Amino acid sequence: MSPTGSMVYVVDDDVSVCRALRLLLKSHGFRAETFTSAEGFLGFKHPKIPSCLILDIRLPNINGFALQEIMCQRGIVTPIIFITGHGNIPMTVRAMKAGAIDFLSKPFTAKDLLQSIALALTRSQVQNKKQAEIAKIKKCISTLSPRELEVFHLVARGMLNKQIASKRGTALQTIKVHRGRVMQKMQTRTVTELIRLAQKAGITSTLD
Amino acid sequence: MKNKIKKLPLKRITRIYLEDKIRQQSDELETRGGQLKKGADREKLAHEQIRIQTKAIESTLDGIFILDAKESGFPVVYANPSFFTLTGYSKSEVIGKSYFSLYGFDTNKSISEEIQQALREGKSFHGEMLRFKKNGEKFWSFLRIAPVRDSKGAITHYVGIKTDTTLMKKRDSEIEEQREELLHVTRVGKLAEFVSSLAHEISQPLTAILSYAQAAQRMFKDKEPKLQEILQYIINDNQRATEVIRRLRVLLKKSKPKFESLNINTLINDTVALILPQITSNNKVIHFELDSNLPMIYGDRIQLQQVLLNLISNSLEAMEQSSDSRELSVKSFLKDSQTVMVQVRDSGCGIPEENMKKLFTHFFTSKPDGLGMGLSISRSIVEAHGGHLEAENNVDGGATFNFSLPISIKENV
Repeated sequence: MSPTGSMVYVVDDDVSVCRALRLLLKSHGFRAETFTSAEGFLGFKHPKIPSCLILDIRLPNINGFALQEIMCQRGIVTPIIFITGHGNIPMTVRAMKAGAIDFLSKPFTAKDLLQSIALALTRSQVQNKKQAEIAKIKKCISTLSPRELEVFHLVARGMLNKQIASKRGTALQTIKVHRGRVMQKMQTRTVTELIRLAQKAGITSTLD
Repeated sequence: MKNKIKKLPLKRITRIYLEDKIRQQSDELETRGGQLKKGADREKLAHEQIRIQTKAIESTLDGIFILDAKESGFPVVYANPSFFTLTGYSKSEVIGKSYFSLYGFDTNKSISEEIQQALREGKSFHGEMLRFKKNGEKFWSFLRIAPVRDSKGAITHYVGIKTDTTLMKKRDSEIEEQREELLHVTRVGKLAEFVSSLAHEISQPLTAILSYAQAAQRMFKDKEPKLQEILQYIINDNQRATEVIRRLRVLLKKSKPKFESLNINTLINDTVALILPQITSNNKVIHFELDSNLPMIYGDRIQLQQVLLNLISNSLEAMEQSSDSRELSVKSFLKDSQTVMVQVRDSGCGIPEENMKKLFTHFFTSKPDGLGMGLSISRSIVEAHGGHLEAENNVDGGATFNFSLPISIKENV
């Protein structure tokens, strides 16, 4: 992946560490943004490109772990590489369990950092793609009428047209029309594909 | 009277005379008898006193002996039963023998000579020494010898009391050992925490230096070979510094805590015993309010003692300045069914409001010779035990530190 098409964030309360890392990242062609607090990072408007966050654990007010939690709650999927001058095993385990890419002890070499960044950006790209896809599916779903949405849910559960018709007390023909419109709006050709979209959008449907 | 005699016949005179004489004599007899009786009473009383005093001397646990001061080797003229028990010698081996012949070869010669010197000069002697029983068994003896003078002030005897202080010594040295152990652990813990914090502080600039150098290396890639070389030196030395810190950290790695079920009150009492001399020597008073029905807690004995010792020492120091009230109270109670609380409250100078926030941070201290590690270590110990350590100022002066500890689930179910 080209470094220029991605963004590396750094959050460390030490101004000099921020500046040094920005220089190092830029020397390797990355776009970099540095913040000396978690609040600064959260206030930044992130462009929708693959990104990763180099995050210090010891920070004023909101520490690294707390920021990781907030990001999780807000659905910010930017992968995290923790850096710390005070690391221990329980801390590492905690960070990794919460989905961090790596846990680097300060001072770390450029080589170690770049390796972790490459890994993080690849994951970010995959995640971004997935998110974009989900966003697209959700957008399609939003165009469905209430009756179509209901049919979509029932189809997603694997029900046949006949079953749906009897359950809703509607003519089979009407259901066929609805389903045809759902397929059209969801931009799919086959039922299999429709079910796959429903799963991706998180619709496992329990409409009873 | 004369006239009367002349007038009366001789027979009658004689009778009066004799009667008078008899009366006188019987009076005299009566007086004498009274005197005799008094003397007997007095003697009885004296005997009783001697009996009581002898009994007292014979039943005391201290070894008591009397030496003849007029004879040259200071022979023993009396020794009570405890003396024989204490020294292991029998009555016949002691009475009439020079007191100093009982000092075996094992006993420090100079002490024996020092005592003899004192006695020869008619002085008294006080001292604690290591002695040996007849069978060679060691014991600590606290000896006091004082002269006994006759009515003219001449020294006739010496009376000595010796007390076996072996058990006291042992208890003292046990306490001393425990205190040393705790102080050692505290020192090591402080050092480890200190190094760890130092390592963190230093790792920040080291990170920056390394990144700057590596950025520069990258920027001047394939250019400026001399600069490349210098940058590499910077990187190498950076790694050297990193290695030093890493090794220091490994060296001072805190020993693994040993968790066990503990009675918090026993822990409090044991800890206070370690610093009791510090408390009492400065006219300070310590109060206990320990709830005897507390469940067991689960923790590392030494680490929790460290916390208690730290809080109590801080309180003692805080009260150093205050002249009127020097009261320290240690309280234990159940906060809820799962939590035991310990409270250390003093009547000292309290904590200035501006220090409250920084109180538990590394390197923060209000003492001229403090490291600023005690409270931060205490808090991290309590937190590692699943509890909290908080501080507050009292309304009526002084400060209170509270810490909570979860109860031991294993023991209390």
